[in-house]
Formats: sequence, C-alpha cells, structure tokens
Amino acid sequence: MKKMSFFNFSLTTFSPNGKLLQIEHALKAVESGATSLGIKASNGVVIVTVKKLPTTLIDENSVKKIQKLNDGIGVIYSGLGPDYRVLISKARKKSQQYFKQYNEIIPVNIISRKVAGIMQEFTQSGGVRPFGVSLLVAGYDHNGPQLFQVDPSGSFWAWKATAIGKNSSNSKKFLEKRYKPDMEIEDAINTAILTLKEGFEGEMDEFNIEVGVIKNDKKFRILEPEEVKDYISELNL
Amino acid sequence: MQKGGFNFDLYQRNVELIEKNNYKVPKTTKTGTTIVGVVFSDGVVLGADTRATSGPIVADPNCEKIHKISDYIWCAGAGTAADTENTTGMISLQLELLSLSTGRSPRVRTALTLLKNFLFRYHGYISAALVLGGVDFTGPHLHMIHPHGSTSTLPYISMGSGSLAAMAVLETGYNSKMGEEDAKSLVHQAILSGILNDLGSGGNVDLCVIKHKSMEFFRNVDTTNSKRKFRKKLPYMFKSGSTKILEKEIEEKMRKMEIVNEKESQIEELEEL
Repeated sequence: MKKMSFFNFSLTTFSPNGKLLQIEHALKAVESGATSLGIKASNGVVIVTVKKLPTTLIDENSVKKIQKLNDGIGVIYSGLGPDYRVLISKARKKSQQYFKQYNEIIPVNIISRKVAGIMQEFTQSGGVRPFGVSLLVAGYDHNGPQLFQVDPSGSFWAWKATAIGKNSSNSKKFLEKRYKPDMEIEDAINTAILTLKEGFEGEMDEFNIEVGVIKNDKKFRILEPEEVKDYISELNL
Repeated sequence: MQKGGFNFDLYQRNVELIEKNNYKVPKTTKTGTTIVGVVFSDGVVLGADTRATSGPIVADPNCEKIHKISDYIWCAGAGTAADTENTTGMISLQLELLSLSTGRSPRVRTALTLLKNFLFRYHGYISAALVLGGVDFTGPHLHMIHPHGSTSTLPYISMGSGSLAAMAVLETGYNSKMGEEDAKSLVHQAILSGILNDLGSGGNVDLCVIKHKSMEFFRNVDTTNSKRKFRKKLPYMFKSGSTKILEKEIEEKMRKMEIVNEKESQIEELEEL
C-alpha cells in the first residue's frame, strides 16, 4: 500500500547522458540470472530454463520456475525470483479481470502489454525500485503461437527465438543459425534443449532444467522430468 | 468513503413510510425455477428447467441455469438471473486464481465457502439460491446455498419455486445405492415434475453429470414441453416474386455531363433543368 505522502519521489531519475541508471542496473541483474530461452515454432512455442540450485540439499520439487498465467499462457524469467513471483501474482489477477470485463481469454500480446505497464509503473512511481527480471511470455491464441519478452524498463516485443540471462548473446548466436521459420514444435523443443546445453556448466539432466510447451491445443504444459529425460537422451545419441 | 456493498441510508425512512404512511410495498417478482442435485455412487447429477420469467411473461423459454464454476464443479442457480450468473461468474474467476496460485485443482468446499461468504455480506439482498455440486480429489460433493448465506450438505437437494414438486419425486425415488443411470432418471423426473406442476418453471430439462475428471452436459435432454405447434423457421424468407408489383416508376439518377466550352450553352442547359 502506497503511503499518502506529499513527498514520495521517484528513485529512478535521469542521468546527464539521458540514461535511467536504475533500469540499467536492473538489466545487469537480469544478465547475471540463470539462462532462459524460448522458441516460437509454426505450431507452438517452447520455453526452457536452467534450474541450478546452490546446493543439493534444496528440494527441487518445491522450486517451480516456469509458471502458468492461465490455461493458454506460460511464463519464464531471468533475474530475481521474488520479483518474478510478485509479477506472476499481478499478471494472473489482470488476466482474470480482463476475462470478467470482456468474457474472453486474454490474448498474449495484451497480457504482455499489461505486465510491461506494471513494470514501467515501478520505474516512475515514488519510493519503489524497478523489477529485477526479464520475462519470456509464451502463448497460443487466435493470432497463433507467440513469444514476448518484457524488460525491467517496461518495453516488450515479440521474438521468433531468443535467450535471456547468463550467456544470452552466445545462445542467441546459436539460435540464429538453427532457427527456421517453418520449424515444428518437436524440432523446436530439441533445438531449445540443445542451445541450453551449449552454455551449461556441468552435466545437464532432467532435474536441473525446466521445459514448458504450448501446442495448437492451446494448453500450456510444463513437461514432467521423465519427458525431459527422453528429449535429453535423444540429443546425446 | 463509500465502501462496497449496498447503501442502507434510506432504510429508516422506508420503514416509517410503510408503517405510518400506509405505503404499498411493490411486489417482488418471483423468477421461478426448479433446480435439483443428487449424489450417486460415482459422482453428482445436477438438473434444471430452462424457463426465465419476468412477472407473468416468459422472458426466455430456453435459458441455461447450470453454470460452470470450474471444470468439475458446476452450480445450478435459482432466483434473480443476473444475481446467479454474476455471483457464479465471480466465484469462478476467484477459484481459477486460487488454483493457479496453489498449484492444486479446486475443491467443492472452497467454492462453497467463497459463495456463502459473498452472499452473507449482502444479507440476502443478492437473490441467489444455488445448488452446488462437483467432484474433487476428496470425492463427490453436493451443497445447497440460500440467499442469506446459510448452507446445507445433503445427498439430494431441490430449490426454486418448483422445489416442492421436485422434492416429492426425490423423496420417493432416492436410495443411497443409486448408479449413474438411476440418478439421471431421478433428476429428470424431478425437474419434469417441477415443469408440469409449477407455473414458474417450464421449458426443457438440462442435466449435468459430474464424475471423477469427467463432466457431461446434456443440454435440452427433454424438449417435450416446449414443442409449439405453429413455429415459423427463422429468418423470414419470401420467394422472389411472391409480392405482387402494382406500379413501376424508373427514375434516372445519373446524368451524363458534356463539357461545353461556350458559356452561353451552359447557362441554357442549366435553365432547362
């Protein structure tokens, strides 16, 4: 709850060379976060992320990085986990409010725009800091499969394939070579996991990555570890 | 600052008007409905008629009274149609938000609690009498919710103006060992009893059978009460030539323009028109 004070100034102010340093710093926080990437195929979208936990003592079942906003939209992030949780809560509420108002499931580009709006608010409001996450929003609606990125600044745009977080520039170079516009979803899943493997520190298995897929059934699904294991073993062959 | 809910500022003045000034209270319009729910061995069956009335007029002869709260939790509503639709709609959204945030499929008792808390806040002014039924991971459940916010959990329930007619059928036919077909038939007969014996209920019979991870909606399973004898098929179409032409007059709308250099002839042409 914001305080009703006359002296609630924004902490994000312009520097002399026209930059908003707080946003730049937030982007740095994103860059040092775990790698996430997404690929839009002709008949679906896949998003994957690295789930590297600091110690083996953590129960990996309690950590779920890929989240659903509603039946047809899934999200992944790079950056600060707690900031992500707050955004997911707000985004879910926005999508229900949209449904209440229009009796229509919120389209992917509109929820991306709304989340971007929330993130922008926090770069201009008093007493708050920008969110330290970039999101990849994957969905399938009447406009087909779509993949959006939303940044701490509040800018958002659609991708065919992209990577965020650690090693994102190398991963993007890798994707540039392998991306084909008529790619099918199964091919895209394999490419995504392969790209993740390229920059992976150590051994990649079904417990330290998460994969989320949406096909033309318009139902976003997070794959079970057994299914992920199948894809990984296919790549190792 | 005005918070949510109804405004009771004029309550005192209304009471005085009625008692001292002999003011005639306007009659509340009963919307009339028969809704029924029955638990059987594998799940629940919900049933409803399809007549929506506005006083003595049938406003909608084939409306849908069974509303979706979640995939396997459905709710039949009696009372004011706007109240039942919007109440169930809102609770359905809240339940989806909750199930996303907890990562669990929703429970019938959660829907029950959300509905009863909501209706209690409005002290009966939201006229929604509901029969809530569903199957969650704890099994099949059936509840009735009154407009004031009280609830009951029973193996068979009927609500609405046709509830007495329907309850008579349920009391006769119910047994705790019923299977799916028996339960469907019982609910069907109960709704039919309401349609035939209550003026406020009518139209067709809608059934909804919910079992574990399965839901079947039988829309208009029985239409014997709504087959009107004379009914023209929409849209109204008349064959070309069926209307007799009495007079014909053709008017030229487009005039051909000729560019004339001489000014005199232009003026002459204009004068002719």
